Amino acid sequence: MSHLFEHEGADGKGYSQPDPVAPVDNLQIPSSLVRAKLPRWPRLSEPEMVRHYTWLSTRNFGIDTGFYPLGSCTMKHNPRINEVIAQLPGIADIHPLQPDHQIQGTLAIFHEMQDMLGICAGMDAVTLQPVAGAQGEFTAIRCIQEYFRGRGELGRTKVIVPDSAHGTNPASAAMAGFEIIEIPSREDGRIDLDALRAVVGDDTAAMMITNPSTLGVFEPEIAQAADIVHEAGGQMYYDGANFNAILGRTSPGLMGFDAVHYNLHKTFSQPHGGGGPGSGPIGVKSHLAKFLPGPVVKRRPILAGDQLTSVNKEWWYHWHQPENSIGKVQQWHGNSGAVVRCWAYYRRYGRELKTMSEHAVLNANYLRHKIIEEAEKIGVRHLFADGAPVDVVKHEFTISMAPMKEECGIGAMDIAKGLLDMGYMAPTVYFPLIVPECMMVEPTETESKETLDEFAKKFVEVLQEDPEVLHNAPVTTKVRRVDEVYAARNLTLSYPFDE
Amino acid sequence: MCFATKPTFMLVPRYDSPGDYHMVDQLPNLGREKEMLDAMGMSSIDDLFADIPEAVRMTEELPLPPPQSEEEIISDARRLLGANVALGDRVNFLGAGLNRNYVPASVFQLVTRGEFLTSYTPYQPEVSQGMLQAMWEFQTLISELVGLEVANLSVYDGSTAAAEALTCAVRVHNRKAEQKDTVYVSELVPPSRRSVIHNYTQGGGIEVKTLRHNSDGTLDLNSLSQAAGSCGIYVEQPNPLGILDGGLTRVKEIIGENTAFVVGVAPVSLGVIEAPGNYNADIVVGEGQALGSPITYGGPLYGIFACTKTYLRQMPGRIVGRSIDVDGKEAFCLTLSTREQHIRRHRATSNICTNETLIALMGAMHMSLLGPEGLAKLAQRNMAACQLAKQKLSEISTIAIPHRNNSHFNEFVVELPGSAAECIAYLDTQGLIGGFDLSAWYPERKNWLLVSFSDQTKATEIELLAAHLAVWSTSLVQGVRA
Ligand SMILES: Cc1ncc(COP(=O)(O)O)c(C=O)c1O
Repeated sequence: MSHLFEHEGADGKGYSQPDPVAPVDNLQIPSSLVRAKLPRWPRLSEPEMVRHYTWLSTRNFGIDTGFYPLGSCTMKHNPRINEVIAQLPGIADIHPLQPDHQIQGTLAIFHEMQDMLGICAGMDAVTLQPVAGAQGEFTAIRCIQEYFRGRGELGRTKVIVPDSAHGTNPASAAMAGFEIIEIPSREDGRIDLDALRAVVGDDTAAMMITNPSTLGVFEPEIAQAADIVHEAGGQMYYDGANFNAILGRTSPGLMGFDAVHYNLHKTFSQPHGGGGPGSGPIGVKSHLAKFLPGPVVKRRPILAGDQLTSVNKEWWYHWHQPENSIGKVQQWHGNSGAVVRCWAYYRRYGRELKTMSEHAVLNANYLRHKIIEEAEKIGVRHLFADGAPVDVVKHEFTISMAPMKEECGIGAMDIAKGLLDMGYMAPTVYFPLIVPECMMVEPTETESKETLDEFAKKFVEVLQEDPEVLHNAPVTTKVRRVDEVYAARNLTLSYPFDE
Repeated sequence: MCFATKPTFMLVPRYDSPGDYHMVDQLPNLGREKEMLDAMGMSSIDDLFADIPEAVRMTEELPLPPPQSEEEIISDARRLLGANVALGDRVNFLGAGLNRNYVPASVFQLVTRGEFLTSYTPYQPEVSQGMLQAMWEFQTLISELVGLEVANLSVYDGSTAAAEALTCAVRVHNRKAEQKDTVYVSELVPPSRRSVIHNYTQGGGIEVKTLRHNSDGTLDLNSLSQAAGSCGIYVEQPNPLGILDGGLTRVKEIIGENTAFVVGVAPVSLGVIEAPGNYNADIVVGEGQALGSPITYGGPLYGIFACTKTYLRQMPGRIVGRSIDVDGKEAFCLTLSTREQHIRRHRATSNICTNETLIALMGAMHMSLLGPEGLAKLAQRNMAACQLAKQKLSEISTIAIPHRNNSHFNEFVVELPGSAAECIAYLDTQGLIGGFDLSAWYPERKNWLLVSFSDQTKATEIELLAAHLAVWSTSLVQGVRA
């Protein structure tokens, strides 16, 4: 165990700084504001700092470490060229308040990204400003709110979400001031149109839903659901977390949605970075376009007098404020560094983004098939059930460990910990909430057949394991099972200097 | 904003021969589809999409350019991004809340380690101790920096941090507040941040009232008493005009126990300026960027969020706690999750899920290298550059420094004899990114230029700015006289 705060080297050891440009003995600081005591920060030389963080990194599991089938998170390989591009001074060292003529290259990339995302989702207008999926949801719901206010439909105060929805959906709509109506899913996990019909009305603002659903299953009746909501005068919102499943095969636009967010950190490989940063642009149909947060990038033909750059001889790119913009959700232009990375990613595939999605779906179905095959081979198929009884899934699938829990007391969390001992990241557990003892597996398109074959074998091996062993798992990790209750009861949220 | 015509991708040269798909290096199973489909008893990829009803199927190819190889992508990226004017290409005085501090090389090297870069939120603590501990250390670094008991491991940026602080204040204080659902925000807070605050607060029916300032740019403490009994107030230190306001140390006694005192900080300034926790701030937020991260066109950044224990259970965002494993060994995990959307759903304290962990990690690395004395020196360098500039510019008779007698951090206002926009355009022709035209924030201030200085500002650059401002303003004044 190495503690950052136990490093107590000499003053200002870490890296030497040039001297100030002027004497500092007469800095003008109001006497009431002079800092009395410096923060108790550690003192590390560069070698100590490098070793500390390298040591920490060895205690962390990433996609680069091994298979990371974390459902709903699309843990695909992050191409390294994207990191190199994001460090170029033309993006890393530019300021959001520079005039348009100094940033034509960035605006061109943004414009291309707006177009590309619009095309892929079948939407008419795109903003890149929201910085994560949840913020995209919130932004789109705000646009819908202003749309109804503009029409004088002030009674539309409710947002419908299925019980299989991700927690951010209801949380985002509630933050915008809406009342949440949760509707139950059908027995097979799919949307229940009767339940939907029962709740829609002239108080409906929107329905928020993802397709494929959080069970990894395509909702065949999505167009009907859209009709029901539209007939009641509401709007359809698409949670784009599962977009990786459908690019080039269908689109939210075709399904009848009015607004969508994209998780660039899922579909377009912005690295998750241990929890962020992400990027959550939204796309909308034309009737919502004028409410988008501003500004968005537009272009016009080059005019005499424009300062020409090497970007383009034909178009001039500029920021444009939508007419009835809801304003801002991030004070600058969103997570621009992430947008540029994702531009580099999309360029890799271009129109073959469709192939990317096909492989994501191929891998998910193949892995599901293999797990079942291996389980049948060794007679453990009865220990788990399908989260949704379907022939094909999309980019991910769910299984329920309820039968195993029943039989020997081993649930999804124990299996997850067993998989950690096998050298894997565990699938998502206990989400969606409607599948008991749920494990949600998303292999992504960047895993080889061999990795999937091996995982299927190891997965069923875990099911055969002695329950006692699984209760005790993991044993091969840097620490063993962590006591979350202890953490909550004995809150220690920072280094206890006085301990 | 709709696509009037089918968008064309002018920028993409066509290199490929048909079927030459460069993404082959990204998809390990390309060419093995048949083998895998056979194993499943399927005959084509289309079988995998048979569940998508025909009516909603996309029948045409995506109208996008062909795939590119890595070499082609980097070459396009270099051409496009190379056409931008980087701050480092010029002499730069643009800041306005973002700050171009030097970030040591080791930070960039370490943060691209795949174990950090390619991990998700640490849901499985046993294999995520590295990031969990790093974030617990980050919480400690921030908590020490701002002088408050608890910090989370980041929200999106400084603006959402301010907005979340105000909704948090309402959740904590509304029940007892005399002015229900009411918060006060400094009138100087720029429209961009105000707009974020509006979007985050309007849904809860929260009214955002305005706090006035004196003509010298400091908070008007006389009218502040009107905020007593509201749920919270938000002010910035330094304020958006770069002013360090000593009066803020008296705010809490004026607004009282049941009104949250929320302060937005420039974190580097806290190397010389008192931690707001020590003048009774209840919540401290801020834009973390200057510690650890390049400006990157305004994102990704990281929002600092710290508070006293009173607000702990109403905080937004993820928090790491120290715990033990089954062997009693020290271990870390996410804690207090019952505040969050995945458990509390529509009753969560915030909708935030993905945050800015990796940028916060860069912050932690930078802070670790600085140490307390390094931070103090960094703050002094920033402040010395600002002070030297103020002295040099105040020698120019044709311009004025309206808040000259205040103390400043990073930036101050220059009042010009003509429009700031025109001055910036002139400086641009001279190779200077001259600052920020404050009329974009305060429309009546046509002649106010906000100039910013960081640890990167050199004395010669300040001389250059002074010389150009003198030339421009003198020619303008003489022009008017003539
Ligand atoms: C289905 C679904 N919706 C929404 C989100 C929220 O996205 P973000 O974490 O980017 O805010 C997630 C992310 O975990 C998700 O899985």
